[in-house]
Amino acid sequence: MTNLSVKIGALSLKNPVLVASGTFGYGQESHALTNLSALGGIITKSVTLKPRHGNPPPRIFELPAGMLNSIGLANVGLDAFIRDKLPFLRTVDTTLIVNIAGSSPEEFAAVIERLNDEPGIAAYELNFSCPNVKEGGLGFSQNAGVTGDVTAMARKLSKRPLIVKLTPNVTSISDIARAAADSGADAVSLINTLVGLAVNVESRRPQIFAGTAGYSGPGIKPVALAKVFEVAQKVDIPIIGIGGISNTQDALEFLITGATAIEVGTANFVDPATGESIVAGLVQYCQRHNLHSVQEELVGSLAMWQELE
Amino acid sequence: MNDTKIIVDCPVLAFDTLGAEIHSMRLHCPEIAKSARPGQFVNLKVGTEFAPMLRRPFSVCRRDRLEGWFEVMWKVIGQGTRAMSRLRPGDSVSVIGPLGRGYIQPADLKLAVLVGGGIGVAALPLLCEDFQQAGIEVEVFLGARNGDELALSGYFKDTGASVVLATEDGSIGTRGLITAPLLERLAALTKPANTHLFSCGPHGFLKAMVQITEETGVAGQIAIETMMGCGFGICVGCAVRCRNPRPDKKKYKLACLDGPVFDAQEIVLDD
Repeated sequence: MTNLSVKIGALSLKNPVLVASGTFGYGQESHALTNLSALGGIITKSVTLKPRHGNPPPRIFELPAGMLNSIGLANVGLDAFIRDKLPFLRTVDTTLIVNIAGSSPEEFAAVIERLNDEPGIAAYELNFSCPNVKEGGLGFSQNAGVTGDVTAMARKLSKRPLIVKLTPNVTSISDIARAAADSGADAVSLINTLVGLAVNVESRRPQIFAGTAGYSGPGIKPVALAKVFEVAQKVDIPIIGIGGISNTQDALEFLITGATAIEVGTANFVDPATGESIVAGLVQYCQRHNLHSVQEELVGSLAMWQELE
Repeated sequence: MNDTKIIVDCPVLAFDTLGAEIHSMRLHCPEIAKSARPGQFVNLKVGTEFAPMLRRPFSVCRRDRLEGWFEVMWKVIGQGTRAMSRLRPGDSVSVIGPLGRGYIQPADLKLAVLVGGGIGVAALPLLCEDFQQAGIEVEVFLGARNGDELALSGYFKDTGASVVLATEDGSIGTRGLITAPLLERLAALTKPANTHLFSCGPHGFLKAMVQITEETGVAGQIAIETMMGCGFGICVGCAVRCRNPRPDKKKYKLACLDGPVFDAQEIVLDD
């Protein structure tokens, strides 16, 4: 028997397969299409203090091996999340992680304090890295000082483990990861989308209303793996790998590179059962390689090439 | 609303070419054949390629509950629809469906005017079937660029509905847009309050339909064709602008969950 469970600080997951914020709604949308309890955890769409309408359309554009999105954190807001979305999520036999976004440190604080009183939540993922909102968002995680300050504030307030989600749109992602770790983050998750642009040559307008948008999907996987590789060497806290994960092979690459868990993102749009399939695929892989523990024997087991003497 | 959607691999039972770039296929799926309502759609993917990566949405065009199949129809536009055109009986397609809110039958409906623009006609057969079974009179207006792109006219004629056709090149029916004969007919209505327009088609066509409902006072519903990321509400990418949103109301609706059928006065069709 393979033990798929992993520990991310104080957070225990029955397996390392999570679904990424913003790619799985609030769980209920996919309830009819996949066995939600097969997942190691569900990370909700970003919750903000007030409801957000999101950005004007067009919000998405498909590209080879990926897509651009600029949703603008459209969400029901904290009150409606607690009232309408949490009750269903609590019924699912998996770990619930709420992704929190805000345009100011005060907004993060208000959401954390309110959610602290709500049962059934295992951890918070702090979205410092959305590229598609004007205030806060990306600004936070592009600056190590701000990342550290907001993480430290959240650490003081939060009763639960904190995962800080990082953007790749920086000079040194490991500097930002270290700031989060030094300020009390239990883990970092990376990468959020890469800033991208596509142009309609007939209308000469951007394909997305807001202009630039976030590129995600299989095309970003090598970039994401390299970032996980870099952060794994420089930061001691657990890493959750994200970026173009569409199948078991992709998930394995991230785990081997040093991610303790992974998040399936854009692939959910095509097949919301991708996470469930990856869990089954991990079991098969571990049996084939006679591995007893994912955490002990697989995570970070990347063997670099050595020059012959 | 009951969530009847499923994800399933469906075998292709039959493949048909209706025009130069217009095809249809029957997919075996007893569940969707049974549960789909008029105006709902399925989200299809051929193979596991990443280019294209996303599914493509199509109206459930026709179905046979007893034989357990439904049909989709498409015009070849890009990579996704081209890949579909290479399918043959025995091949398999991944399907999520049925999805979306379909057409709504207004109370006191006596005359249903079904208006299809181009390949948008695919959204109308189930509606025609339901209305005729309910004893509601159906008139069908179909417009297309040319005869080659005018699909399903024979199907509607066989149902006994009155059918008016128009092509821009005049190869079949009236020369010009379908709006001219439609306006003429609506002007002659004796009971406009019991008449309702049900339309589906490309952007410009739907804008014309919205304008017609405003000019004639005949209410109507439009089924929009738009880009979708997932088709079931998790990507939130298919936003459409609400018309005159109040401050406390939603500014956008989702084509996949709130649509693809909307009241003609409900949303803004951007340029």
